[in-house]
Amino acid sequence: MFKSYHKLISVAAMLTLTSVSAIAASDASRTYENGKKVIDGGMIYPVKNGQTAGYYLNTQKAYKDIKFGRPATANEMKAWDIDVMYDGTGLPEGKGSVEEGDEIYEAKCASCHFDFGAGGSGYPALQQGNAYEMQKTLMLQRLKPDDDGPHRNFGSYWPYASTLFWYIKTGMPHPAPMTLTNDETYALVAYIISINEIKIDGEELDDDFVLSKDNFLKIVMPNKDGFVPKIEGKDGLENTRKFYDNPKNFGGNKERCMKDCFKGEPKVARIQGVGISEYAPPLSSKKEKPAKKEGATGGNEAKTTYDASCAVCHATDAMGAPAVGDKKAWVSVLKKGIDKVYENGIKGINGMPPKGGTALDDAKFKAVVDYMIKASK
Amino acid sequence: MNKSISASKSVETATEQLGRRNFFKKTAAYSVSALAAASVIAPVKVKAEDDPAIMEEQPWAVKWGQPVTYNLYGQPSAYESNVTRRTTELLSSGNMRASIAVTPLQDLSGIITPNGLFFNRHHGGTPDIDPNEHRLMIHGLVEKPLVLTMDQLKRYPNVSRIHFIECPANGGPEWRNPQFPSVQFAKGFMSCAEWTGVYIKDILKDLGLKPDAKWMLAEGGDSSHMGRTVPIDKVLDDAMIVWGQNGEALRPEQGYPIRLLVPGWEGNLCVKWLARLEFASEPYYCKEETAKYTALRKDGKAIQHFYANEVNSVITSPCPEKPWTDLKKGDTVEIEGLAWSGMGTIEGVDISLDGGKNWVEASLKGLVLNRAWTRFSFIHKYDGKPLFLSSRARDDAGYVQPSVKQERDAVGVEGVYHRNGWCSHMGN
Repeated sequence: MFKSYHKLISVAAMLTLTSVSAIAASDASRTYENGKKVIDGGMIYPVKNGQTAGYYLNTQKAYKDIKFGRPATANEMKAWDIDVMYDGTGLPEGKGSVEEGDEIYEAKCASCHFDFGAGGSGYPALQQGNAYEMQKTLMLQRLKPDDDGPHRNFGSYWPYASTLFWYIKTGMPHPAPMTLTNDETYALVAYIISINEIKIDGEELDDDFVLSKDNFLKIVMPNKDGFVPKIEGKDGLENTRKFYDNPKNFGGNKERCMKDCFKGEPKVARIQGVGISEYAPPLSSKKEKPAKKEGATGGNEAKTTYDASCAVCHATDAMGAPAVGDKKAWVSVLKKGIDKVYENGIKGINGMPPKGGTALDDAKFKAVVDYMIKASK
Repeated sequence: MNKSISASKSVETATEQLGRRNFFKKTAAYSVSALAAASVIAPVKVKAEDDPAIMEEQPWAVKWGQPVTYNLYGQPSAYESNVTRRTTELLSSGNMRASIAVTPLQDLSGIITPNGLFFNRHHGGTPDIDPNEHRLMIHGLVEKPLVLTMDQLKRYPNVSRIHFIECPANGGPEWRNPQFPSVQFAKGFMSCAEWTGVYIKDILKDLGLKPDAKWMLAEGGDSSHMGRTVPIDKVLDDAMIVWGQNGEALRPEQGYPIRLLVPGWEGNLCVKWLARLEFASEPYYCKEETAKYTALRKDGKAIQHFYANEVNSVITSPCPEKPWTDLKKGDTVEIEGLAWSGMGTIEGVDISLDGGKNWVEASLKGLVLNRAWTRFSFIHKYDGKPLFLSSRARDDAGYVQPSVKQERDAVGVEGVYHRNGWCSHMGN
């Protein structure tokens, strides 16, 4: 009797030990140190016994005394603080009209985004029709091949126009960002609002409509309330936390079926035709030395630059630029004399930005022009 | 064989080699003919069953290789020339300057992606940043706004962590239908590396974060000036500024000299060429938080700030690039793949051979780490018939990969991002 009682105690002791070590090994938690639930629905691994998620950490107290660097100056912060927030924070002084925007668009944007922001050749459309109508397409699902799908572009989808201002000012034109003035940026935003037929104060924009810091927040995007969770305002973080705590909101699954999980045979979806198979480089699992490139001259810098920066417009005449290889077109261009051709390229002409948007010095830019002329003889 | 015998044998061998070396030294001018003579001296009748790769001296076995001064930064064997990132026009805009090149999962082993094969997504091309002229600014709702040179940043005590980075569009082109006869393109918008850097919370200790700081903008210094908003909860948990990737400096394609690492979350949040962190009381609505990196549900509402890449897996062997065409009926072979979760640690992986009707548990193998690739393995006796293979992972947050049907029923087919339904492929 005593013996078996003793045995029971030691078993209990062992169990306690086991469970302690099990807790130490699995230190995952759903709660931050401040008592709040995780924000992404996942697990975190608080530091226990000098470890987090199996990694050892230095936990010396002197850690808090570590400080390097220097204070940022007021001018430095102003120079780099380029963001524009949805509440208007960061909007600079300036103004621009729809008509001015149209002109700038033709000169600096249409070469990629095409006329009226129609998009194409891999460059995004800036409008696909009346934004209010297009917003309604967000309900559409392409369940069959011929179904119409949702149109997601600036007018139909984006919640705030501040993002457009910020993006144009700091990211466009794509080959030469940070080159537009604040006035030009206001004008371009006004133009893009107008081609999306977005109303301000209930009115579509006339050509002489002027957008500025003062009336910018009057732009109300058609899909402003189209996003979940609601992240703006004082409850933004808590809304997000709640949202990811519920798998239904984002299609999370917790079921694990092992046997006879559905009736009948599995439904097979097949790749249509050959599928997408134009890969660069082509797929191969062969163990082989690289094929020698045909006609590789080595170090043809001008050709490399042309391929990377100029071919997008000059490969064909679709953008109105003389196509490389089009003998006639180049003979006509060269009638002006080679110096004029260089000058036009360096300064920019028609839809072409200065030096095609590259950062080449004059000599290197001229070498690229020479290469293009030679390749068109 | 005891030790002394084996030692004396190796001495004999060394003496023999020395003799041979002397022989060649003396007859250097005739070494080519001497080699030819060697096989004439000891002729062997080669039979059809004999492998010429064994029977004939290979050219690399009878002449010098490269000196140690060759390729002082090592390169893969030239025979591995087909193991590369790849891209396709479909995934590109901006003349390959706003594009993606994806990782050849079919060629990888273990859980670490070599730096040259790490997938590469950018929005304005890969910049050539001089680290001496690059700065990191931390400002906004902090008491002490800060500027750091790269040398100063690296003075902070560093930590190293193995984490995957996954583009949330991984698998995204296949919401409506399978598209890619390739595991590289179907699932290669991700890679996994050991990252070295500093926890942002450690830098913030001295900066005096203000109580109303709820969101952090991270912005790149490249031509796209790409930004993303990160909630403060993640910043103060495990977000890092990293400069090391698998033991060396980040590659330019990965953000040299520094990038943000937001473990497990959308790769797009791991802003490359990081230049600026600003704290604010409101989210920023960056360009990549609008038409891109939001997931449109079938109710017409789009999920914004969709952070964690959910639990996922892929079978990498067999795969379309490396089918089992060399196997015979009755061969016993390993089915292998990768599992990962941006919500935590992989708990297990199930395998189905019949298109998801019945499942068996596979083995995990190697290291099983938080928000890192995890290898799984299943030994299978191949009966020569086509298989309909699937893998399904689960994580410690309790999530199990849904079927494609479950996922489509829940959110529709237009989400583009965060597709983690288990997919099958035919293996034969």
